[in-house]
Amino acid sequence: MPETAAVSIRNLSKSFDGTEVLRDVSLEVQPGEVVSILGSSGSGKSTLLRCINWLEQPDRGDIRIAGDRIGVSDTGKPMSRRELAGMRARLGMVFQGFNLWPHLSVLRNVTEAPIHVQGLSKAEADERAMALLEKVGMADKREQYPYTLSGGQKQRVAIARALAMQPKVMLFDEPTSALDPELVGEVLGVIKDLSKEGYTMVLVTHEMEFARAVSDQVVFLDKGIIIEKSHPSEFFENPKTDRVRRFLELEAPAV
Amino acid sequence: MSNWDILWSSYDVFLSGFYNTLKLFGLSAVLAFLMGSAMVFLLEGSRPRLKVPLRIFIDGMRMLPFLILAYLLYYGLPSAGIRMSAWTAGIIALVIYHGAYFAEILRGCRSTFAQGQVEAAIAQGFSQPKMFMRIILPQLILKTRGLLGNQLIILLKDTAFLVIITVRELTAAASSLSSTYFIPMEAFIVVIGFYWLISIGLELFIKMIGRFGAKRGFENA
Amino acid sequence: MDSSAWGLLIQGAWTTLWISGISIAIGVVMGLLIALLRVAKIPVLHQLLGVYISLARATPLVTLVLFIFLTAPTMGVNLNRNVAGIIALTLNTTAFNAEIWRSAFNNFSKEQREAALAIGMTPWVYFRRIMLPQITITSLPGLVNEMSFLIKGSPAIAVIGVVDLTRVTNRISAVTYDPLPPILAAAVLYMLIISLLVWLQRLAERKASRLAV
Ligand SMILES: Nc1ncnc2c1ncn2[C@@H]1O[C@H](COP(=O)(O)OP(=O)(O)O)[C@@H](O)[C@H]1O
Ligand SMILES: [Mg+2]
Repeated sequence: MPETAAVSIRNLSKSFDGTEVLRDVSLEVQPGEVVSILGSSGSGKSTLLRCINWLEQPDRGDIRIAGDRIGVSDTGKPMSRRELAGMRARLGMVFQGFNLWPHLSVLRNVTEAPIHVQGLSKAEADERAMALLEKVGMADKREQYPYTLSGGQKQRVAIARALAMQPKVMLFDEPTSALDPELVGEVLGVIKDLSKEGYTMVLVTHEMEFARAVSDQVVFLDKGIIIEKSHPSEFFENPKTDRVRRFLELEAPAV
Repeated sequence: MSNWDILWSSYDVFLSGFYNTLKLFGLSAVLAFLMGSAMVFLLEGSRPRLKVPLRIFIDGMRMLPFLILAYLLYYGLPSAGIRMSAWTAGIIALVIYHGAYFAEILRGCRSTFAQGQVEAAIAQGFSQPKMFMRIILPQLILKTRGLLGNQLIILLKDTAFLVIITVRELTAAASSLSSTYFIPMEAFIVVIGFYWLISIGLELFIKMIGRFGAKRGFENA
Repeated sequence: MDSSAWGLLIQGAWTTLWISGISIAIGVVMGLLIALLRVAKIPVLHQLLGVYISLARATPLVTLVLFIFLTAPTMGVNLNRNVAGIIALTLNTTAFNAEIWRSAFNNFSKEQREAALAIGMTPWVYFRRIMLPQITITSLPGLVNEMSFLIKGSPAIAVIGVVDLTRVTNRISAVTYDPLPPILAAAVLYMLIISLLVWLQRLAERKASRLAV
């Protein structure tokens, strides 16, 4: 019997103001797998990621997290806010713009949801948070406030914050695109460590080399349609479509 | 006896006036702030149902003198069969009126808020009320502390209007002492001193919040 | 409400308007003078004016009106109610206006002064022709906003028996035994006055923001 997919997307479609941004997208992510989503700007990558945790509501199709449907309850009705919050807590999301909460210290950014959403005691949450801050190399900055941190440090805290909910799946939306080039490495390093530890991850990125190194599967979106879905070696060395070939030439000039 | 001795002999009148003013102020400040925050909470979400009525209410209050609202509650409503004591009418007027101002201050700041932080909270499974209480409201307070402090001082001063609808507060105390003993100068100097003290206290309180905010990189609004 | 009630109401509105109007006019000019004195940082005077501003901003208008009206006779001055009201409103609004003017002075760029003196303007000409016009434009939104606050505070003069737009409602209901209609009508008139000021404030803001560019 096959394992239940960590994320299973079937026939997903989504329009904004009558323009179809995602068209009939289907995708399975197995537990422990790292899937990279590539595509040029405006192709619908963020929208796809945001549909997975229902920050955007799809028009058609269904999305399951470890077998449970998100957004629609068993009775077929839209999920209540509470049910939806419960599902979202199983997904960790890391944004391009970090989105840390500026009024909270690094440590409190990480413990906020475990304490106030999951109901952990402060001591338990602190312990969990410190272990994660250790992992992303930010433990010594735990008492600082976000405005004092560099972009790379902020993003590492944001990753720890997402991990603190012990999500089944981590979603990354261009986690390094807002960073100065010299800070990209520290964040990619953390993500790479997570992949080695067996985290299930869906990653939107423009870092081709990185996607190639960490992914088990690469998905290429073009105008809201998945036009390639393959193993990275296949994808980068032997693209099936001209569209991808042209994309790779533009993104990764002469290695 | 000098005028000051006369005043000293009736210090209990001042104290009870001072106490009443503090009570009026404290109670309505807390309730008005809660009401203002609640209104901003009701304006959350992409298409809040109460947007239009709340907008009308807030703008309406901001175009009225406080005393007219107190008049309406105390003198006007009895003709509609609603009767309340001057004290109750006064508190309700303070809460409604300043609640609208607090709402406007917070709403103005809320509309400049980066959406990303809110999404980060939603993505972590926060419910709307919890997110508002823990993520949005604390930042609104830090960012608008200067305006909130001004509004608190205006609220304090508006409590004095209630002497006109017969509430026994601090200004009423000065007024009654000065007419009993014909020593208006001394009586009012003491009372103005009291108001000044409370205002300075409020300013210190806002400065304290300011330090709290500066540590987090919030510059004053 | 019959026509005589409306007549009284309009009279009340007129009283509110002219008393506030005089206080505003004096308050804007006095505010400017005090701001100038404060900017000059003359020892003692600077501190004294600071205390005045702090006190005036903390004192409720009602308290100030009563204070002036009741204290004047003990010093041998018999004040007419209207004059007492005007003095109180003026003392109050001047303090707020002084701070508005002062912040405009403090935010004014120093380079313009150097440029003006370099082409041979005297300091007085520079102040009158270059600085003041710009500072007036940047202060105007704040000053108009303060005018709204003054109108909203003006019912304080009712406490010494001036029959303004608020107090006139007592007069009317003493005859009609129904206070609700005159109070609502007064509320509407206040809204008209304030919305006019809000509209003026928007115009002033637009003008000020053009200057900022
Ligand atoms: N909330 C929204 N409202 C309207 N249009 C949107 C919204 N979000 C995204 N879009 C549009 O959908 C398309 C896909 O956007 P997005 O998923 O952000 O692309 P990508 O992340 O691949 O750059 C773009 O044309 C974008 O303008
Ligand atoms: Mg995107």
